[in-house]
Amino acid sequence: MAPEPPQNVGYLIAAYIVAPVILVGYLATLWARVRRALGG
Amino acid sequence: MTAFDAVGRASLARATARRGLRISLVALLGLAGVYVLALGYTPVELRQGPAQKIFYLHVPAAWSALIAFSLVGITSALYLWLHDPRLDRFAASSAEVGVAFSAVMLTTGPIWAKPIWGTWWTWDARLTLTLFLFFLFIGYLALRASLHDPEERARFSAVVGILGMLLVPFIHLSVYLFRTLHPQPVVLKPSAPSLPPEMLRTLLVSTAMFTLLYVGLVTLRYGLALAEEARDEAADGA
Repeated sequence: MAPEPPQNVGYLIAAYIVAPVILVGYLATLWARVRRALGG
Repeated sequence: MTAFDAVGRASLARATARRGLRISLVALLGLAGVYVLALGYTPVELRQGPAQKIFYLHVPAAWSALIAFSLVGITSALYLWLHDPRLDRFAASSAEVGVAFSAVMLTTGPIWAKPIWGTWWTWDARLTLTLFLFFLFIGYLALRASLHDPEERARFSAVVGILGMLLVPFIHLSVYLFRTLHPQPVVLKPSAPSLPPEMLRTLLVSTAMFTLLYVGLVTLRYGLALAEEARDEAADGA
């Protein structure tokens, strides 16, 4: 019988949440800085 | 610099930033597609389990960060030669975006390492050098923020940017040069990629989306640099 893969889906979920939070957060911050620099 | 130049620069900044925002949004949409591909269609690796799929974010983030820092070095060297402010603007933009991708790399890496290695972090050559590169570019951004003369800022930061770039090939080769826990390259190596086709396809799609996101974020950040210059020129002219 083939061995079962380890159960570690929680780590996968954590990484798949953290990465877009950083990238979307940075994108939103950049856009806010552009708007501020251009006077709204 | 006239008020007309500042107005022209502001409108160029707005157009550039909007283009960057559009490209970034398309890339993020593509990244959502990568999630579907990775979670729904790519098989679970038998020894590592679901955590192996972190690889589809970690590796493209590392790729984008190292490309970003390499381009900082190349454009910095060109700036020292040509003194074109566009090169300095690009280097500053690429450095900041590279730091964002490094943050993704340095958070997803330990989240993968905990279930696979049994520890969040180990001070081996690859991890330590990558962390050093991250702090080096944090220093690069701090240096830029602390200098007010544009020419001096561009010249000093170009030297740091070139030094940072020199670390990039060393980081890539560190898994061959030192005994390390970090896995060896599975795609960027002299022999053929050692991945099943479904995994390789997902990795390549994700890498393409991260590269597109790099282009979008750098374009947006370049637009921000133009906007800040226009604001400062308008303030000087007032």
